[in-house]
Amino acid sequence: MLKGHLDMIVLAALSAGPAHGYAVIEEIRRKSGEAFDLPEGTIYPALHRLEQAGLLSSRWVTAPSGRRRRVYALTRRGSRALIEHRAVWQQFSEAIGGLLAGARPQGSPA
Amino acid sequence: MIADYLDRLAGALSFDRSLARRVREEIEGHLQDAAAADPTADRLEAERRAIAQCGDPRAIAAEFAVIALARRSRRLGIGVLVAIAGVLLAMKARVAWYGALQWALCDDVKPLAAVVGSIDAYAFLASVIVAVVGSVYVSGCAIPSRLHPEYCRQLRRFRQLCTVATGALVLSVISDAVLTIIRLLATDASPAFFVPIVSLAFEIAAAGLLIAVIRDLAQRTNSTATLQRT
Repeated sequence: MLKGHLDMIVLAALSAGPAHGYAVIEEIRRKSGEAFDLPEGTIYPALHRLEQAGLLSSRWVTAPSGRRRRVYALTRRGSRALIEHRAVWQQFSEAIGGLLAGARPQGSPA
Repeated sequence: MIADYLDRLAGALSFDRSLARRVREEIEGHLQDAAAADPTADRLEAERRAIAQCGDPRAIAAEFAVIALARRSRRLGIGVLVAIAGVLLAMKARVAWYGALQWALCDDVKPLAAVVGSIDAYAFLASVIVAVVGSVYVSGCAIPSRLHPEYCRQLRRFRQLCTVATGALVLSVISDAVLTIIRLLATDASPAFFVPIVSLAFEIAAAGLLIAVIRDLAQRTNSTATLQRT
């Protein structure tokens, strides 16, 4: 289920500002209260896929340690896509919330 | 330990060397950060955990293979249009050359040249239309994380469009060859033959290159599917 929403999760993690892959994973962990524990390697194909789709841009940045980092940032299209994802998710969440709130445990008398 | 993992990852990404280099560097930085952030004092244990958390390199490579395939497909969509534009330029250069040298056709071959010319024009027009449709179609296909059946069908449709566009282009190039031969046979051999022959060779090379790239894309689709199954 988490994998199906990975693109939205990555876009949301980058909404705070440009970041490299490891920082994106840390942000996902932090914002989700450690609830999302993805195989970290799967973030990179997602970042590349979103870049290919024009939702992210990326560039190499040299850290003070001398190590190069690929830093990703939301593009305008990516920001718009995140807004759309949020709206759809909100709708879905409210619908499921309403459904579960009205549901009776199975086997209980009608 | 990290170097060994990165070697396995780069090996699994060997289908695209520049992608392999970029991913290797990105994930190397990631693993170094993850190992450094690990609370354990044992560096080897920290690296082992970072690697375990990163996941199977073949699974990562399989996801990248789909992205590489999508990128190649989109490039092919543009490549077909570029090849068609190149053929058009070669055609126009040849016709301009004939005009500059005032090479006229003999009356007895004019009816044949008119028929071949019509075939040429319609085939070329068909290749342009189908190539534009193919390019727009593939650029509108969302890139999935896995090579699922629907994406395979989309890629197959795109390859079919490219094949039809290239087939029409080949017919146009053959027509150009016939027209060029008709014109050259009616003239004494001279250094002025160089431009028509070179322009025709360019057209043949462009069409041949397209055929090779379409075949390569079909093979890469199969190898990506195999990578995902293993």
